[in-house]
Amino acid sequence: MIRKLYMKPFVRELLRILLAVTISLVLGFIITLLVSEDPFGAYQAFLTGPLTRINRTGEWIKEAITLTLLGLSVALVFKAQLFSLGAEGQMLLGALVSGTIALFVPLPAILRIPLALVAAMLVGFLFGALPGYLKAHLNANEIVSTLMLNAIALRLYDYFLIFHIKPDGAGYNASDFFPKEGILPTFIPNVPFLADAYELFSRRANVTIMLYIAIAVVVLVWYLMFRTPFGYELRMLGANIKFARYGGIDTKKTVILSFAISGLVAGLAGAHLGMGIHEKLIANITIGIAFEGIVVALLARNNPVAVPFAALAYGYLRAGADVMERSSDVSREMVLVIQAIIILLVTAERVLPIVQQRVSASRRKKQNNNEVPSIEEGGQNAV
Amino acid sequence: MPPIIDLQEIYKIYPNGVMANKGVNFSVDPCEIHALVGENGAGKSTLMKIIYGMEQPTEGKVIIEGVEREFQSSRDAIDAGIGMVHQNFMLVPSFSVAENVVLGQEPTQRGLLNKQQAIEDTIKISEQYGLRVNPEAIVDSINVGMRQRVEILKALYRGANILILDEPTAVLTPQETQELFIAIRKLVDQGKTVVFITHKLREVKEVSDRVTVMRKGEVIGTVPTSEATRESLARMMVGREVLMSFEKPKSKRGKKVMEVQNLSYVDDTGVQVLDNVSFNIFSGEILGIAGVEGNGQTELVEVLTGLRSATSGNALVNGKPVLNKTPREVRMARVSHIPEDRLTNGLALDASINENLIVDRYFRPPYKNGLLIDYKKVSELGKKSIKEYGILTPDGELPVSSLSGGNMQKVIVAREFTSDPELLIAAQPTRGIDVGATEFVREQLVRQRTDGTAVLLVSADLGEVMSLSDRIIAIYEGEITGVFPDAASVTEEELGLYMLGIKRQAKEEMEELL
Repeated sequence: MIRKLYMKPFVRELLRILLAVTISLVLGFIITLLVSEDPFGAYQAFLTGPLTRINRTGEWIKEAITLTLLGLSVALVFKAQLFSLGAEGQMLLGALVSGTIALFVPLPAILRIPLALVAAMLVGFLFGALPGYLKAHLNANEIVSTLMLNAIALRLYDYFLIFHIKPDGAGYNASDFFPKEGILPTFIPNVPFLADAYELFSRRANVTIMLYIAIAVVVLVWYLMFRTPFGYELRMLGANIKFARYGGIDTKKTVILSFAISGLVAGLAGAHLGMGIHEKLIANITIGIAFEGIVVALLARNNPVAVPFAALAYGYLRAGADVMERSSDVSREMVLVIQAIIILLVTAERVLPIVQQRVSASRRKKQNNNEVPSIEEGGQNAV
Repeated sequence: MPPIIDLQEIYKIYPNGVMANKGVNFSVDPCEIHALVGENGAGKSTLMKIIYGMEQPTEGKVIIEGVEREFQSSRDAIDAGIGMVHQNFMLVPSFSVAENVVLGQEPTQRGLLNKQQAIEDTIKISEQYGLRVNPEAIVDSINVGMRQRVEILKALYRGANILILDEPTAVLTPQETQELFIAIRKLVDQGKTVVFITHKLREVKEVSDRVTVMRKGEVIGTVPTSEATRESLARMMVGREVLMSFEKPKSKRGKKVMEVQNLSYVDDTGVQVLDNVSFNIFSGEILGIAGVEGNGQTELVEVLTGLRSATSGNALVNGKPVLNKTPREVRMARVSHIPEDRLTNGLALDASINENLIVDRYFRPPYKNGLLIDYKKVSELGKKSIKEYGILTPDGELPVSSLSGGNMQKVIVAREFTSDPELLIAAQPTRGIDVGATEFVREQLVRQRTDGTAVLLVSADLGEVMSLSDRIIAIYEGEITGVFPDAASVTEEELGLYMLGIKRQAKEEMEELL
């Protein structure tokens, strides 16, 4: 009975993650013991920090939204067995274009915000298609090309920010704050019976409607990946590109499209940075988060539905680490080490199989010692 | 006499939980030729890898010449006098034959390779065991038969007493196979012991002294070859009666379906792989292509199915050009293709069975409904295919990698046959699959042809080409060397001469019959 349950892939996956997280939390605690005067306090800050204050919780959720979009973006490319480091460039251009619209296009919010979001997605799509095209038609290595394109996007972003967007005479490289028409509204509608909650969130932790958009994108990406012909092409490309070609799939088109759609989602994440989090354009707006989509996609095993959960979990770690750093004597570097151990173990594919193999080998031994005839033949459930 | 190899209660469990050997007892007497047969996934290769030190048994004893051994690597096995010739040769193509033979134990002179000595050593063992090779030839330039002899010499040079040959005849012509068997006999006469793995029961009868049959990781039995028949061995392998040959209904040749005109293909390195190939295929017939592997068959199939661009020539299906089109366009012209290498081309192993079944049709109704794929229809197709083609699986949602080789091939066959083709191109349709699945695939091929499909059959198994085809073309170095309008009336030896380019029919003579 337990064995049967254990054979289910979902249960095994859950067990695997639980096991990995437990081991890594124990290891993390041992490290904390070594470096901290007050290990229990520090570890508690790490484990519960993001939930202790509403603004911390808000920061966590906002970061998880960005991570969700980035994770989806990367998962789309990973699923096709391709690799992309291009999220940084796509986000920068998405932020730049949406930020420009948010700042300067004189439209009411109801038009300005959708326009900015669509423009961010479009520019992400186009900028994402580029490495796809280079890969498909010139066989350019996508890791190199996406990194190089990031460098180009970064200079473009800086150029426009410093020479065209930054207000004259400002002492640092940032735009003005966006006008109200250019900022994403709070996720709780401003209606009388929710007034208290609205007040609380809009002042303390401004989680925006990007929450709903991100959930919608999760669903859309899932449908795209698992229900549409394009998704089928994408997955077959990832499963075996030679098979895809043999079967008649236009592999070049699929490569380009998967990069482009990945760019589209990253462009949206860029818009969220400007219009949802910072509420202005700043230099290095993507720093520290641009490549985190890779971790999220790995944790979620490229499954779109698992991405938001991975993003929440990983975002929690990041937020907890921040709190631990600020409120204890454990340095950020140590916090990063603990984080890395958790990621390493959770993404390690073979944590469970190794344990499993040991167990079955020792069971075999036992059987033989007792001279019980092999029951493996057709009788696996008998144990 | 005590056995030279004695395996006792061998268990092998792979990390993924697959139990490849379940308590295998296997013994080989000195100076015998011992055949090991079994279906795919029966555990033969695993067992041989254990003897050769490439895998370690989870449990059990390996006793070689009376001494219990625990090989950590094949290096240990070689030191114990065991040699193995793999299916895929492991030679350095740019080295000479002699250099390959001595590789790893080179005769040296002041720290440098003594080439002269290497050549002499090679000649010496080559003469001693009757394995003809040209020691100075570069491996890249010699044929498959000689490469295999080099592999065997390599093992002998390292002092092997026991030789394991993994499907040694899979790549050989009938003539080469005969030569190999004579050489094996000679080896045994001089005190060596040979274990060889094969699928071909005829060869078992022909050359071995004893035969061991494996099924599902267990040894079913070991019998003296003289007491076994092909039928009895097949029954032991499969666990039921197997039809070893079948009568096919008469061919009713219909209209011309495919027309290939002056097709040439020059590869990236400038080699003329296909040279002015022309032939026609008619509905209701199986046209077999007989040739030693590597004479352009692979390229011919890939060019005709859109996977490779031809250099020149033309190919029409029902009058529509299909050359240098995309694979999708070729498929839309109602051409089906069973690819030579099912693992690289024919299947996506990690994708589900159902998803593997729709690669040629997911984009059109009834499988595409509006913007989405109708997965209800897909799973209906899966259920139907699993039932009709006898794919052994509990569920079409399982990945193809969960199937055995024969069942994987059934997935391909199901897909390619249910697309209602006018032309079916089948490359090596039964390679490496077991007796039961082979029987099934062959029956299906003949049924398609009898129902009016035109079939192009490419197979390295000459027996298969001869028994299935209505008409046969022999191909050598990319050229058609002979055409036989009545497949039933040609002998294997005769065909072999054309496959080796020794005999050729005149162009005018062939034109009529192509």
